[in-house]
Order: sequence, then C-alpha cells, then structure tokens
Amino acid sequence: MNRHISTEQLSAYLDSELGFVEMRQLEAHCGACAECGSHLASMRRVVAGLGGVVRAVPPPALRQQIRRQVLQEVPARGLRGALEGFRLLLFTPRPALRTAAAMGLALVVGLFAVNHGPGRDAIPQVEPAPGLEVVTVNPGAPLAMLLTTSEVAGREFVWTETSWVQRGLEGETPVALVDAGSPRGRELLTRYSDLEFLLADGSPVVLRYNLQTVEIRSKAANRVLGLDTHPRPGSRHARTVSA
Amino acid sequence: MGVATVYPAIHQDVALDIELVERHRCGDLQAFDEVYGRFGEMVYNLAVRLSRNREEAADLTQEIFLRVYRHLGSFGGRSTLKTWVFRIAVNHCRDRLSRHVLPMQSIDDGFEEGGLPIADPGRGPEELAVAADEGRRVTEGLARLPQVFREVVVLRDLEGLSYEEIAEVLGVRVGTVRSRIARGREQLRLLLEEGL
Repeated sequence: MNRHISTEQLSAYLDSELGFVEMRQLEAHCGACAECGSHLASMRRVVAGLGGVVRAVPPPALRQQIRRQVLQEVPARGLRGALEGFRLLLFTPRPALRTAAAMGLALVVGLFAVNHGPGRDAIPQVEPAPGLEVVTVNPGAPLAMLLTTSEVAGREFVWTETSWVQRGLEGETPVALVDAGSPRGRELLTRYSDLEFLLADGSPVVLRYNLQTVEIRSKAANRVLGLDTHPRPGSRHARTVSA
Repeated sequence: MGVATVYPAIHQDVALDIELVERHRCGDLQAFDEVYGRFGEMVYNLAVRLSRNREEAADLTQEIFLRVYRHLGSFGGRSTLKTWVFRIAVNHCRDRLSRHVLPMQSIDDGFEEGGLPIADPGRGPEELAVAADEGRRVTEGLARLPQVFREVVVLRDLEGLSYEEIAEVLGVRVGTVRSRIARGREQLRLLLEEGL
C-alpha cells in the first residue's frame, strides 16, 4: 500500500467495517506513513468527541402531551379501520373477486335507489333562478357532521363558529394570547407561514405551539382577505397595494 | 449433550417488535407507550440535532410519534421497529425543516436540562471542563454540517446505528452511507482544526 489511505477507509476502519486483511494493511501503512498516521489520529479524536456529546433530555411534559394526543386519536382510528376494511373488500387483490364485489355493490345500490327513489314524499324540485344558489336540507340531515376544516402547515384546523382550532384541541382553553404583530407572533408565523391564510379575515387561530395551547390573532383592522399592509420580505402571501 | 440454539440479538428485537405491534393492533395503549419509552429519547435527540432548536425538536417529536401511532398497525416486520421509527423521524424532519428555516439555537446547553455528563471520579475539574469545552465545539461543528452529512453522522456516532441500519433508514446503499459518514466526519475534522 504505497498511496495514502483514503478518508473513507480511515473512517470505516474506526467503525471496524474493514476486513481483516485490509485492516492489517491500513495499520501497517499508518505506522510507517506520518501523514496517514496523523490523519487517522485526528479522525479518531473527532469520533471520540462525537461520542462524548451530551445527550439532550426530552422535556418531561412531552410524554404526557403525546399520550393526550394519542388518546384523542383513538376514536378516529376506529373509523379509519372500518374504512380500511371497506377498501380491502372493494380492492381485493384477486380481479375476479373485485369484479364480483363491485357488481354486488352496484346491485344493492340500484335496488335501494328503486325502492327509495323520488315518490309521493319527495321534495319538489325547484328550478333555481339564474345566479342563485339553492341549498336543500333534508329534515334530519346530520348537520353536526358538516365540519369546515382546513389543512394548513401540516395540521388540520376545524372551524368552531368563532375561531379555527387545531384538530384535537377543541374545548381546550388557550394559555396564551399571541398578537400576530408581536415578536412572538412573528416568530410563530415565520415557522407556520401558511397560518396567514386562516388569520387573513381576522379569525383567531388556536394551535399547539411549543407544547402550549395558544391563540393567535391579527389585530390589524384594515387587513382584508389576502392583503397584508405590512408585507414581510420573502412572504409569499404578502402583496403591496398601491392607490 | 443437548444442543443450544443461540438466536442473534436482532431476532429477539424483532420478536419484541412484533409482540408490541400485535398488542397495539388489539387496542393496548400501553404498547404504544412502550414504543415511546424505547425510542422517545433517540428521536428527540435526532430532532434536536437536525433542527438545531430544542423547542422545534419537541414539536417534531410529538408529530413523529403521532405518525408512528397512526401507522404502527401497518408495520410489517420487514425491518426492525427501530429503523422503521427512525425512517419516519428522518422523513418528517426533512419535510418540516425544508419548509421553514429556523433560527439556530445553542443546543450544547444539555447541562441546563438535566443532561449533565456523568461525573467521572478519575477526572479532575479541569479535565472535565476541557472535555465539556470539546463537547461544545463538536456540537457546534456538527450543527454546521450540511444536513445530508449531519443525518448520517448523528445516526452513526450519536445514536449508534450500524451502517446497514442507516442504509435502511435513509433508503440508500451501504456504500453511500459509508461515503457520507466519512465525508461528514472529514468536514467536521476540518471545521474543528480551523477553530470553527
């Protein structure tokens, strides 16, 4: 081994990732070559230094926080499981079974439509006037199921009449109120810039931030949907309005 | 004379993994808690090193474990639970951190949060101070490495994963892992020699 030893070989040697013969050759070379010997020693110090880096300890509240979030997930998981079962029924790997299942489902839906189609009790269809949107609500329709949700910054938010609340935090009282214009508010929006979509019409947003439930709101009175009077450099939502 | 069958340690890990997942599928919440107990600190440390921000790392860890909870039932046992959890962690950190540039925070202050180094009776206060200073410099250098190298160096030298495990976590070949570890360490070595 006349040439110098590569960094990759030295590094692999320190991890005992070389074969016996290669290892012996490397040791012999490093014993004779001052440059490679010094390189190996300095690489060894780096690895030893990395091994001595103090480990960070997770905040004690984190485990409880995760437990709480998981407990809120449990009912949703049950529903997801049922949907998954339904999906497997429809998209079973064998094409013959899949076709049979699809045909069976079509038959059941068809029979149901014939038996429960528009009859004497059906709501009369009204031709809507041009430009008008007609919304028909059947008696007993589960209105409570009609949630307005929005997925922003990788989290799901639910509209609760007065504010946008991160999914899972419904019913929680925020421990802090953050003004979007304050330093903390700006820091939060730097991390989750998409939140500006929700804040744009003046709605407060409740979310989990640094292990706390906080409410952020924009107090700027003249802030109109999509228009920011104080555009931040680099913000993709900020627009300048000229008179 | 009886013949004893010795299973490698990895098989015991896989058996434990499968048992945990089975319990989780049966609705045993304690199983997920055990998963957090096994990997929570590792994932938090990885998140601290990748995000270079403790608060962000706490948020990331929380989100990672929610993902783990949601998908634990679909764990097929093709890898160990450890590499599976780390894969979720690395992908989530990459995804989140690529969208937001965070202010870099000093993360060598493990001493503040109970992360004190274990007292070594063989080392005097001066020696301990030097070691702590060296630790701070290495941490600072690590934070300056490009993410692609930081990931492998953290997984190898801080979390102790083997080359094969890292390859599985990152979805790359073992040769790529070997090369990235070497380049990451070399860059760190140069940074430390230049006094950062």
